[in-house]
Amino acid sequence: MIPIRCVSCGKPVSAYFDEYNQRLEDGEKSKDILEDMGFKRYCCRRMLISHVETWK
Amino acid sequence: MFNMEIEVKSQNDDELVLIIRDAEIPFVNAIRRSAMMSVPKIAIEDVNIIRNDSSMFNEVLAHRLGLTPLVSSLKHVEGMALADECDCNDFCPKCGVAFSLNAVGPKEVYSKDLISSDSKIKPVYDTIPLVKLKEGEELKIEAVAKLGLGKDHAKWMPTTVCAYKQYPEITFNENVEIDYDCADACPRGILKGDRRSKKIKILDIEDCSMCKSCVRASVNNYINVGYQENNFIFKIETDGSMTPKEVLLKACDELGEKSDKFIKFSEGGNK
Ligand code: SF4
Ligand SMILES: [Zn+2]
Repeated sequence: MIPIRCVSCGKPVSAYFDEYNQRLEDGEKSKDILEDMGFKRYCCRRMLISHVETWK
Repeated sequence: MFNMEIEVKSQNDDELVLIIRDAEIPFVNAIRRSAMMSVPKIAIEDVNIIRNDSSMFNEVLAHRLGLTPLVSSLKHVEGMALADECDCNDFCPKCGVAFSLNAVGPKEVYSKDLISSDSKIKPVYDTIPLVKLKEGEELKIEAVAKLGLGKDHAKWMPTTVCAYKQYPEITFNENVEIDYDCADACPRGILKGDRRSKKIKILDIEDCSMCKSCVRASVNNYINVGYQENNFIFKIETDGSMTPKEVLLKACDELGEKSDKFIKFSEGGNK
């Protein structure tokens, strides 16, 4: 499961996780989604980009 | 004494950027620390796990609940007592808010499934995934949210980013030949070489991170990046539990109170 907050800065990234995945599936570019959702720092961006869901 | 000037650069629900002029580092830093460490916020502290069939350990689940941001704006938590200052034994309505969480699988449990005993205090976001349940698994939890301070645990920090930088200052050495390469080196695209007017334009100096990539790229020291000693760009970003403005006001109040205490103490009034 995705950590609730960004490990580095504490922004609650998990709240955007489902939306991010949904939009990714709909064919949007990762960069555009992150920009649109307001993730400016690379610490928060990597939380979403690099998360691998192993618990299915 | 100094004569401080404050200008709001931008402000929205969870971010506030200020430009502070004619202040000093110790003072600005005191406000920063106060905002991070001394502003009370509510977060889940005690978790009573009655039943947890999921594959997630109780400790991990409790930790996730604790980190879930809860609405703590000043008017909602006003009158509540800090957990260790309340005179009750365990918890009472004055210092805690009860939450319950009941779910049966198959289901993905979200923060919106947390049911609060106080309609005003609830998770900021409804979409935070907490745990997954398979067919036949059950979750039964009681939790108590308490008021606390950031110095005790990060879950009680209202701010995520709370930082300042000194106001950047970019100067050009007019005695040497203009060096357009330094403009291309800027990772933030702040510098723009204009070959017609033989100048390098600065687009948004407040966005400069003072990384000095431009200085390193320039062979003849054409550009120099420094900062203004007493001017600051101060940014407060919160996790949504309260607005940055509230955080700042409360931080200043707390700092004032601490200073009063200190003055009284050093005058020998409070032995
Ligand atoms: S210090 Fe860094 S951010 Fe600022 S102008 Fe130079 S290269 Fe750009
Ligand atoms: Zn982050």
